[in-house]
Amino acid sequence: MIATAELPTNRDEAFRWADLAALQAARALPAESATVPDPILPDAQRLVIVDGHLVDHLSRAVDLTIERAAIASDHALGRHAGGQGHRIALAPRSVTTIEIARVNAGEDSHTPLEIALGEDAVLTLVETYTGAGWSNALTRFDLARGARVMRAVRVVDAEGFVSARDEVVIGEAASFVCVTLGAATASTRFDAALTLTGEGAFAEYGGALLTAAEQRQECAVRVRHAEPNGQSHQLWRAVAADRSTASLAAAVEVARDAQKTDGEQSLRGLLLQRTATVNLKPELEIFADDVKCAHGATVGELDARALFYMQSRGIAKPRAQALLTRAFVADALDRIADETVREAFVADADAWLERAL
Amino acid sequence: MTMLKIENLHAEIDGKPILKGLSLTVNAGEIHAIMGPNGAGKSTLGYVLGGRPGYEVTEGSVSFDGQDLLDLEPHERAAAGLFLGFQYPVEIPGVSNVQFLREALNAQRATRDEKPLSGAEFLKLAREEAKKLDMDAEMLKRPVNVGFSGGEKKRNEMVQMGIVNPKFAILDETDSGLDIDALRIVGDGINRIMRAPDKAVLLITHYQRLLDYVKPDFVHVLADGRIVRSGGAELAHELEREGYAGVAA
Repeated sequence: MIATAELPTNRDEAFRWADLAALQAARALPAESATVPDPILPDAQRLVIVDGHLVDHLSRAVDLTIERAAIASDHALGRHAGGQGHRIALAPRSVTTIEIARVNAGEDSHTPLEIALGEDAVLTLVETYTGAGWSNALTRFDLARGARVMRAVRVVDAEGFVSARDEVVIGEAASFVCVTLGAATASTRFDAALTLTGEGAFAEYGGALLTAAEQRQECAVRVRHAEPNGQSHQLWRAVAADRSTASLAAAVEVARDAQKTDGEQSLRGLLLQRTATVNLKPELEIFADDVKCAHGATVGELDARALFYMQSRGIAKPRAQALLTRAFVADALDRIADETVREAFVADADAWLERAL
Repeated sequence: MTMLKIENLHAEIDGKPILKGLSLTVNAGEIHAIMGPNGAGKSTLGYVLGGRPGYEVTEGSVSFDGQDLLDLEPHERAAAGLFLGFQYPVEIPGVSNVQFLREALNAQRATRDEKPLSGAEFLKLAREEAKKLDMDAEMLKRPVNVGFSGGEKKRNEMVQMGIVNPKFAILDETDSGLDIDALRIVGDGINRIMRAPDKAVLLITHYQRLLDYVKPDFVHVLADGRIVRSGGAELAHELEREGYAGVAA
């Protein structure tokens, strides 16, 4: 059991918006039987991780090489998930689809995982967090030249606290795209450090955080461009209802040698009630002199004129609110390339909207 | 048969009185034009009838088809057969015209206990209406009014009116922003969709020119929140000649 003193506090700048009280409360939740979610992609390789342990008889990993490996991090939450974990190595030019269910029955669970892609390997990855307690993941990705990852992560049917730390190294001309959806009652913290270590690397890291009641969700993402001609996009949408808080902190760092970097940040928040809060923190640190970095950060309410326009055409107010909110969230979920996965995520967001409005 | 009966209507925005005792009766089969100078309360009348939040009725009554109109939510007014054509149609990024209009039509149908239209049935209807108004059917797939020119937005209002096929249309400066060809197309659209013995129209306009295409049965002059003069189509010409100051005085 991790001592409370080993966890970050709100006095740490990087954790000032974090719902650490919810984390503590989650740890106190008694373990109950948790159900494994149905897969979105029934034909994919499937890994079922329950309480931090890979459950072989629920998983189906026919052509995956999974080995034990020591995985470490110095991140404040991620380090607690460090230790003996699993490492998946994908052969050069292989094409793989994996769906991971991360189920937590209660209390703490810590899951270290490493995925290494050989040159030009392609991975489609879907991850679903469900259950209760504190679910803490550390996931490392290593992309060799030309490798591609298309990843979609969702937190649904989860209560308690979910924290996920990603550490991603993106090699030359490799591409890493990750879209995250927080649509459960769990408070969340999505932490990521992405480093573009090869020329012409591409990173996209974003998503939608939907918060309600007293919930708090946040992301803290840092993209580091180390080499020239890299491109990165961080597109996040936050929808906050009731007295909830959604926080988006996104940083782009461009090293001195990383000329011709094209970085883009779009952070937007939507308040469904005035009692809700959205915090935005865009950050740019640029040491190269020939770069293009665009950033936008806005928080607002639903457009009252659009609402009335829709009502005047016969659409009841809650439905009009749902349609407008859905359109707002769609910006982020549209980035999921696989249609089946995208539709499942949109359905999750819709279900959240049904509850919240 | 009386469709709309407005009696002694007083309304204000942020405590500022705009309508000050307006009375008007519109029967089925009639087209009424409301004209008047800027600030007379023309658009306010449209919004009050549509139920826009922030427009507070302080006195008077409005009945529509025998129901108390002011007692209905905006979407219930639409389902009851009222259509409000906007002076400035609103852009809705991320919501396609098709999705918006199908939702709207099926919501109205549900309120009236009618069966919803399927996607295919709706698309057929929407394509036909777009064609009649000379609007490219591709525009139906685009987000509502986003990137549309002023004229395209007004045309889109008429396509919407054709699709929902209302009993009563309030058209707020539908002619503004239209070139001569578009004015004719929109005018023809209003006649085609709304000229019927069981329908009626309230046309809110600044200028006579739309009335060349849509012949009003009655013309009313609105000034300082009241109707100060009423007459036939000839009143519009008189206004054009002599200005509001001359006629309303």
